[in-house]
Parts: sequence; C-alpha cells; structure tokens
Amino acid sequence: MKNCLLCQASIREQIGLDDLFSLRAAKPTIICQACASAFSRLSATPVCQLCGRKLTAAMTDPCYDCQRWEKQAAFSFSNRGLYDYNAAMKTYMSRYKFLGDYRLRWVFMTEMKVAVTRTKRLVVPIPVTEATMAIRGFNQVVGLIDNCRFVNALTPVAATKESNQSAKSRADRLLLDQPFKLVSGMEATVKDAKIVIVDDVYTTGTTIRHAARLLYQAGATSVTGITLAR
Amino acid sequence: MINSISDLYGRQLSELDVPQKLLASSAVHQRKAVVVGRSITCSRCGSTLERRQAALPNGHYYCYVCIQMKRMDTRSQLVFADEPNQFSKPEHALSWKGQLTPMQAECAKQIVRIFKNHQRHLLWAVTGAGKTEMLFEGLNWAISQGYRIGIASPRIDVVIELFPRIQAAFKTTSMVLLHGKSDQPYRYSQLTICTTHQLLRFYHAFDVLIIDEVDVFPFSGNPMLHFGVQNAIKPTGAMLYLTATPDEQLLMQIKRGKLSVSYLPIRYHSHLLPEPTIIKVRKLEQLIAKEMLSKPILKTIRSLVRQKQRFLLFVPHIKDLAAVSAAIGHDNLQARYDTVYSADPTRLEKVSAMRHNQLDFLITTTILERGVTFPGIDVLVLKADNEIFSAAALVQIAGRVGRNSSRPFGKVLFYCERKSATIRTCQRQINQMNQRAKKL
Repeated sequence: MKNCLLCQASIREQIGLDDLFSLRAAKPTIICQACASAFSRLSATPVCQLCGRKLTAAMTDPCYDCQRWEKQAAFSFSNRGLYDYNAAMKTYMSRYKFLGDYRLRWVFMTEMKVAVTRTKRLVVPIPVTEATMAIRGFNQVVGLIDNCRFVNALTPVAATKESNQSAKSRADRLLLDQPFKLVSGMEATVKDAKIVIVDDVYTTGTTIRHAARLLYQAGATSVTGITLAR
Repeated sequence: MINSISDLYGRQLSELDVPQKLLASSAVHQRKAVVVGRSITCSRCGSTLERRQAALPNGHYYCYVCIQMKRMDTRSQLVFADEPNQFSKPEHALSWKGQLTPMQAECAKQIVRIFKNHQRHLLWAVTGAGKTEMLFEGLNWAISQGYRIGIASPRIDVVIELFPRIQAAFKTTSMVLLHGKSDQPYRYSQLTICTTHQLLRFYHAFDVLIIDEVDVFPFSGNPMLHFGVQNAIKPTGAMLYLTATPDEQLLMQIKRGKLSVSYLPIRYHSHLLPEPTIIKVRKLEQLIAKEMLSKPILKTIRSLVRQKQRFLLFVPHIKDLAAVSAAIGHDNLQARYDTVYSADPTRLEKVSAMRHNQLDFLITTTILERGVTFPGIDVLVLKADNEIFSAAALVQIAGRVGRNSSRPFGKVLFYCERKSATIRTCQRQINQMNQRAKKL
C-alpha cells in the first residue's frame, strides 16, 4: 500500500491482466485516481497550433496572441503544452515551486520524458536565477526532465529577477529585454542544432520566445518548445 | 511579521521570518531545522526522513512532512526564545457565572489538582457532559499563577466553536485563536486556542496544555502531531486529554500507568445518552449511486422538515454528498439544505449557516461528527455499516443529539444494510455509559 504524493490517500496498486502478460515493468503509481483526474491533458482537445493552448469555440487557430507574435517575430516557433493550466495545475505548481516540494517532480517526470525524447531534438531547459536557486535549491524545469539527456545552454543575464514574473502585467512582460545569454562554450553545440526548449508553464510566451530568439541568433536551425502546462 | 521578541516567546520559527536585529539578541536561540546524522530528522516535526525523498539537487535535504508550514531544510535554522510568562496574575479571571452539577464540580476540582501537580491525565466524559465548563476552574487557577495555557484540537470546527466560549468566560485574559484558515495574526497571549497542527510552531511554551478530542483524525496515529504536542509543552507542563471515545493507544497508556484517568458517564442535564435506532434498508449503496434514496428515508426526511425539526445527515464519502443531495432534490422537497466536507472552500460559512438556523439540514461527512453543537437536532446516518464510520465516530455522531436541557432527547437513526460489528460496538459503548450513569 502506497500513499498519493499529492493528497496522502492510500493507493491500491492495480495490476491488470495485460500488465501480467506484457513483460514490461508495471508503471509505479504516484498519485491517486482522484488527483490524476483533476489535471486536464491537452492531447484530447483542439489546441492552438503555435502555442498549444486549449481552443474554445470563439477562438481562431492560431490564437489571437500567437497572431500578434507572428507579426513581430522574425523566426518561427511553436510550443506544445502537455496540460491545461487549470486550478489543479496551479495548486501543483505552487506546491512544487513555491513551497519547494521537490518530490512532486515525480508526478509528471515520465510523461515529460516521453514528450521530450520523442522530438529527437537537443533539449535545453529554461534556467532559474541564482537567487531563486539559492532559496528553492532546485531548478523546477530540470527537475521535470531529470531523467532525460539535456544541455544547460542558457543562463540568466541578471543574478536576480527585479520582481516576480507572475506579479507583472502582460504589457510589462512584453517589454522585458532579453533575460538570457548563452553559456560560454555552448556555441558549437547550439550551432546548426534542432532544439526543444523546456519550461514549466507557458503563460504569455515571452520567456520561451526570448530563449528561442537567442538560440536562433546562435545558429540553431529549428527551435520548438514543450511546457508542462499551458 | 515578527516585530518584537515577544512574538518569539515559546515559539519556533524559520530564521527567514525573523528580522536581523532580533536574531542578534542574546535572548534568541537557534537550532538546526533538519539534522543529518545516521538518519535525517526534522527538528520541527520530529519526522525521520527518507534520504531519496528528502534530497535536493544542491546536496541539501528538506523535510517533506511538515512542508505545508513552510519548507525547512538543512540550511534552515529554527529560531526560538524561552517562555518568560509575562502575564498578569489576576486572582479571579473567570467571569462565567454558571453552575456546575455536583458531578461536574468534582471533575473540575480534579482538573485543578492535575494542573497543580503537573500530571498527565485523561478526562473520559460522555458527549454533552459539559467538558468546556469543567475546565473553567482549572483555567482560572492556571491564569492566576501566570501560566501560559494552550487548548488544541485536531478539528478546526472544534477550535472555532471553543474560542468564543472561552473568551466569554475569561473576558480580561489575553487570548488568540490560531488555525490554517484564520487571518487573525499571531499575538503573544496567555491563552492560545489552536489546531494541533499549529502546535508545531511552539517550543516549550505551555505550562498547561489541553488536547480536546484527542482520539480523532488527524491527531490519532499521526507521529508528527504527537511530537508537536511534546515539543509545545514545557518539560514540566501539565497535560490534559479530553474525549468521549478514547482510542486503543490512550487505553494502553492508562493500563501501563502512564496516564491517569477519570470518568464522567452522565450528561450535565442528567439525562441518558440517546440510543441509536438501527433501520435496515436494502441496496442503499446502489440507490445512492443512482441519485436515489429508499422511500422510508425520504419519508423521514420529509416529516422532519415538515415538523421544522433540524438535523444532520451523515454520509461516509465525499462523493455521496452530491448524490444524496440530488436524490433529495429529485423528491421536490421544499427545504433549505446544503452539503459540507473537509476541503469544502465554504465549509466554515455553511457550518455557521446551520448554527444560525439558516438551514433546515446539512448533509455532511464525518467532519461534523464531534465537537460541534447545534441545539436540539436529530441525526441520520446513511450507510452506517460503512467502514468509514468507526465505533467512536458513531458514538460521537449519536452524541450530537439531546445535548440541550430543553430537548435532552432526539432521534438517532442508523440506516444500514446489515448490523455491522462497529454498530454493535457503538451500541454497547453507549449502553455501558448509560448503565454507569443509572448507578449514580
């Protein structure tokens, strides 16, 4: 008997007939059915082809925000989100990132690995600042792809963020200057590479597009994104 | 925010929450929050941590057990200051003018003795015995000694109901109510009323610590909360446990002579405990799943509503709430009712609505099984044979009825498929207490 990592309820591990005959190792259960069902996968719904957000009937594809990006950007970029950024996902993020419960990376690690390796691209996580690293003790993005091969090609320009991202309005964020720079010695790795950038949440897209722009400038041939939540 | 050293008296907080100027004071001590030795342990909650789960990529370890109260890791320091008991010592702080029954008065005297002798004691009193009032004399004495006092319960509803009653009885004593959903800021006070989780923020603070409803989840069988209690009380402090349904662990301690015990088998109004009526119904589980209830149950609900008899309707699982509510809705019943469960965001509002007569009945999980009084209610339990309802839970649920001297009786209806062992145990316990009471 194990307990759900999110709600502590005890989980009965169910082994079906196909598990017995498949010869594959049974997938370990980390969270209970009730908690799992509170998250909403984006694979089952229509999403924006450029940012991966869930589309409602009133929205166009690509969505309004992406059309604006397309007008100003000089490079092509598309993102895939694994899950809708709903209430359950927001609670998860606040516990994982802000409370700092590093164990919670296990909840989505397997799915992130599948999604990331399937791209067959060079994996580059979004970095966190030294200040965040000092308080939190981990990079939440690296935690999610801990079991994958990845390259720390990016690093923040400033040691501290001047204010918390989520406290800013969309307009404020769009005005931000390039927050990243290439880690020295990474030039050859990035040049002519096909890259997938990994981040935890795609909110306005500013962060991940800044990273994409930098990587294109460094000579990458194609850059896409994968985020846990959109 | 911590401003003065008095905010640290008898407390243990993260050094990140304490301003520099206080950290420099000689009265402020620090100790490591998470200690790595042969095993990894958290000094705040006492948990032994699994290396693999506690490890951070920067080589440090964090406590994942008490993380809800802000993360502690191997870099964190717990900051604390010794409890100086800076309280006035009024001779008569008690402004309550009520009368205790002779039985209650005897228990109250015993409580004073326990506090004086710094003992560990269990007061085993039936539901509706008037436990709170019996505490007053002891509290009055402890206040006159300048003692710091804590009253804690695992249940948030219990502490919320307790606070105004204690406040009304001790109008001039400084007191504070602490629980996870409260926005009342911390204040150094002689009397602290809080959930048992909040005790993790205290360190050798209390001369007298009272744990109400000690046998209940999440306290019972939770080593972290037990550790919190031991840490919050002064090493010389007196400890009083209160419950109507002690669990095995407490009974074992009594047997081994580690805990003294006193009984109060009769309610303050001297009427016996209402005994449950067992009503067998078939296929209740399946019916509820289809948002239906059997005829006799709906009939009873209808007649209660018609008589304006308010009641609680207990169900075992959260998922039953919506189904039962829908079943009653399909029956076109004209009544004000609602559902409530532990994680319900509007839980406190709904309980308060029931308390203020704004609801005819409330469909609830076991969160309202104890510690709350809605005067003159009846109770109905659906699927009383479900494993969720322990014998203690059923005794407590039955104990919600007949608490008021103006209506010392009432209906306790257990609907079940079969009379389970726990139902029989519940009946036996109530019966035994009533037998004892008759002999008095």
